[in-house]
Amino acid sequence: MPDAVGSRGGGGGGKLAYTLIGLVLLYALLIVLPHLVSFSQKEILVFLTINVLVVVSYRLLTLTGEWSLGHVVIMGVGAYGSGLYAKALGVPVPLAMLLGACTAAAVAFVLSFPLFRMKGFYFLIGSFAAGEIIRLLWKRFREPFGGPKGLKLLPSFPDIEIGVVTISFFDPVNYYYFCLIVVSVSLFILYRLERSRIGLTFHAVHWEDRLAEAVGVNTWRLRTLAFVTASFFAGLAGALLGHYLTTVNPNQFDVEQMVFVLIWVIVGGTATFYGPILGVVVLTVINEIVLRGLGVDQARPLIYGAILVATMLFLPQGLESLVPKAKALFTGRRPAAPQGQRAGAE
Amino acid sequence: MRSRFNPRRLGRREFLGSTAAAAALATTSALPRIAHGAKTVKIGFLAPLTGEVAAWGLPGLYGCEIWAEQVNASGGINIGGESHMVEMVSYDNEYAPDKARTGAQKLIFEDDVKFIMMLGGDTWPAVQPVANKARMLVSTLLPSDLTPDTPFLIAPCEVHPIYNVTGVEWLAENKPDLKSAVICAQDDSLGRPSVATYLAAFEAAGIEMRDDPLFFDLSTTDFAPVVTKLLSSNPDILCLDTCYADYVHPIVEQAFIQGYKGQIISCTADFYEQMIEKTSAEFMEGFIFQFPDFDDPALNDPRINFADPNAFYAEYNKRWPGEWSAVSWEYASILDLWKAGVEATGSVDPAKVLAGMKAGGVGKHAFGPARWWGKELFGIDNALVGDWPVVVIEGGKARIKEFKSIPAWWDKHGDIMIKHFTEMGEMYHQRA
Repeated sequence: MPDAVGSRGGGGGGKLAYTLIGLVLLYALLIVLPHLVSFSQKEILVFLTINVLVVVSYRLLTLTGEWSLGHVVIMGVGAYGSGLYAKALGVPVPLAMLLGACTAAAVAFVLSFPLFRMKGFYFLIGSFAAGEIIRLLWKRFREPFGGPKGLKLLPSFPDIEIGVVTISFFDPVNYYYFCLIVVSVSLFILYRLERSRIGLTFHAVHWEDRLAEAVGVNTWRLRTLAFVTASFFAGLAGALLGHYLTTVNPNQFDVEQMVFVLIWVIVGGTATFYGPILGVVVLTVINEIVLRGLGVDQARPLIYGAILVATMLFLPQGLESLVPKAKALFTGRRPAAPQGQRAGAE
Repeated sequence: MRSRFNPRRLGRREFLGSTAAAAALATTSALPRIAHGAKTVKIGFLAPLTGEVAAWGLPGLYGCEIWAEQVNASGGINIGGESHMVEMVSYDNEYAPDKARTGAQKLIFEDDVKFIMMLGGDTWPAVQPVANKARMLVSTLLPSDLTPDTPFLIAPCEVHPIYNVTGVEWLAENKPDLKSAVICAQDDSLGRPSVATYLAAFEAAGIEMRDDPLFFDLSTTDFAPVVTKLLSSNPDILCLDTCYADYVHPIVEQAFIQGYKGQIISCTADFYEQMIEKTSAEFMEGFIFQFPDFDDPALNDPRINFADPNAFYAEYNKRWPGEWSAVSWEYASILDLWKAGVEATGSVDPAKVLAGMKAGGVGKHAFGPARWWGKELFGIDNALVGDWPVVVIEGGKARIKEFKSIPAWWDKHGDIMIKHFTEMGEMYHQRA
């Protein structure tokens, strides 16, 4: 996918054609992929697809300059919300998923009032505290949240019958395709939002918030918009996860999981739309496929940590910084830094 | 400065090459040594091998590896008249539901295992639909996972947390002057049912609770305030419930620092030697828990069904010194029961093996004859319950003081247990 905010209008039809060809090839690969991997890797593919939505939605929040430690808990709000709507109220699962995402967005909206009184490091700590409060509420109230054990036996996504053919979403391949569609539509919306005037203003709020305010931009409203939108999609990811596992519990959304999201985003890079996607894909493949394949289960945290340290040392601008270099190799031109890095340098 | 042990600089290609070779060597050397051409039967081990709950997974895998080697050395498992070697296949579920589901799919559909052993708890609900659909026999160490919807889930070794009643019963009989207690636990699926059990056991023993149970979050690292709160009511007994080893150690250390002189009772005391080092032998004297070292002479009693526990313990400590924990023998003892079921039925079909294991409603538990039980508490008779040892630290060493009967306690006080399980929301119909 093209850079986040760069190249509008530049390059013209040729660039668009390349982009379209690239997307067609990418989706051809994504459609064939589950048939090329082992059964357990199909499972990993489902979780990876869901996590792509988590990191991209997280990046939307970072566009306004705020880093949250509550994003995974917000994802959990979507999972719990969707699970409860479907299990306790009998709402059809697809609708419950949307309602779960809306609940996550609504919770984020409420949280935005205290949280956006803070900025930077204080926002980070505030978001962590807010997330922990929500997580502890799930633990404290057995009704309706199930307490420490959480909710189980949640309804799965319903099977679809087309004539004599039944599509079961218990099958990881079918659920992967479903996730792929949901996540693709979500990414398209997030991408268009970022490329819109509002998205460009997010950048202004990040880099020059005082100047933006001086020209009449309501920075609080824009930060809230980014937070609520990111939370909606994080909640949707949580709903996708909850109805696949048919269980949710508070420990799934603890700070350790949040650290993983941060690592994926930081290692991938946040200057481009594809940076966090690169991070989550590469690190998941290394951790779940390569290291497990080597039979070094117990050494995985050690090796994973070493890879992270090496990435920080040798790729301080994230994996996304490799993409312009790779492009340059093909075109023979000098590599250009991703847009966000240029903006940062300026 | 270049090291004298590194006379020439290692090139990038050489480094990558040697690393790959080392990884390949490590992988192949980790494969079980099974006679060429021999038929094999695979058993899955799906438990946390890394992370904060690894202490209840990894030592169990070590024990299973010893068990498998011993069984293979003695000719393997006899299935329908044919000898089969045993191969353990492990998957680190990191105590996460998504990893557990992925692991279950891998073990069942890629590795073709015939039986899966789990720790259970938070990871079981994600595995349940997979196991039910595949009709795979799965064992858990936590019978609180059992419900009527889990026909292929069994708890044939550790009837956690029910056996904790034996420690309290022994304490009340042997130290009748201790009349008040406090209890703390991590707020999770292990801590809560265990608290319900201890509350029932204390009530049955006539021991008064000085305060409500103190539940702390899993992310707690500073236990000074926790222990201060517990000791503020000046209890005779400090109960540590089923806290993970990562919590038991700092709590005990804090109790020592804060000058506690009373009785401590806990479900586990993994790596208790380290606790003695951090506190003192005098402080730890009389510490009651439920998991013996297997060099204990009491385990040589003829009624013990675990084969040569002293030799197993010696071999374990030779290979992994200082790694013995509550679960080191448990998964291996489950394998004993499964092997007996397989050999009795001549099949590895889960339904047949389960029927073979439960034949007559009785089974050979590691600690003696036992019966399949659990209908009243779990809604299904899939827990094997019999005697359980009460272990006390004496002179810096854990020693079994007595084997006490869980069914006998249940027959007298079962209603109290159900009352506390209901109040805690832990009855099977409350967990659905």
